[in-house]
Amino acid sequence: MTPIRRVAAVGVAVILAGLLAGAVIGSRLDDGSDLAAAIEEAPLVRVAGIAPEDGLPGRGVYAQTTRTGHICVWEAPTATSRQRGGGCNTANDPLNGEPLSFTLSYDGGPAVADVRTATLFGLAAADVARASVLMSDGTERDIRLRRASVSGTAFLAFGYRIRKSDLRKGIGPTAVIARDASGAEVGRQPTGIGG
Amino acid sequence: MRRALIAVELLIALVVTSTALAAYQYAPPRQWSPGASAGSTYSSNWLANYFMTWGSGTDKTVTFIKNTTYGWHNTKRGGSDYLETYAPFEGAFKAHCVAHSWFTGSCNVR
Repeated sequence: MTPIRRVAAVGVAVILAGLLAGAVIGSRLDDGSDLAAAIEEAPLVRVAGIAPEDGLPGRGVYAQTTRTGHICVWEAPTATSRQRGGGCNTANDPLNGEPLSFTLSYDGGPAVADVRTATLFGLAAADVARASVLMSDGTERDIRLRRASVSGTAFLAFGYRIRKSDLRKGIGPTAVIARDASGAEVGRQPTGIGG
Repeated sequence: MRRALIAVELLIALVVTSTALAAYQYAPPRQWSPGASAGSTYSSNWLANYFMTWGSGTDKTVTFIKNTTYGWHNTKRGGSDYLETYAPFEGAFKAHCVAHSWFTGSCNVR
């Protein structure tokens, strides 16, 4: 081997070693890539729905249990659609320590006045008796809860569409409220928009 | 020697290609504060945008921003440890993530 070839071979070997080392180190950082891959493998099970309204098509609310030990809740047209959005928590704390956990989904914005469509979906603990959306005008809208079993645990699943007529008036969802059977408030989580 | 070099070049090409197909971390793991945000480059090839966080109080947003109107599309906001949204069909968009509380996390697009 000529000296030039030897240098070239060593250089290539160093670059290759660097790439492989980077790949190994990168794979060990918990950047969610394991969960992202697991999401692609596990089936989605429909637990609730969002009815067609205001000229918009219906959407399903789906639960998913991954091999990484997460419970995910998605909003999507179908169980196999790539038009899927939502979130995942660890199976040992699926509601993040709250009576309910939800994702706010919207199109338009970021200012509330520019939001064209918005939905809320998620899971509630089985002992929640009632849930509602608190709107920025002070009114409350009941959310229909549906019994669902996810990973052998009982939950209440929900999906809710904010009316276009509200959004057009600048009225947005400010919080989701959970109540027990006596009507007492047991949890309130802000949506972060709606004032 | 030539065969060995070709084999090494092929291997490098495979590694580079597989890296390109995997998620692109546009905001590496770090401490986030309310209002902090990050964004990817604009592309018409993004599929999904996700924000992975650790710890409690992980209120955050993921969205896609259109390159012409700068409007937000398929926005998701919530406190899940992992929050994901999908890219719109037509046009060039950038993945964008926003923190609304204090936590550690990273933003990724694929």
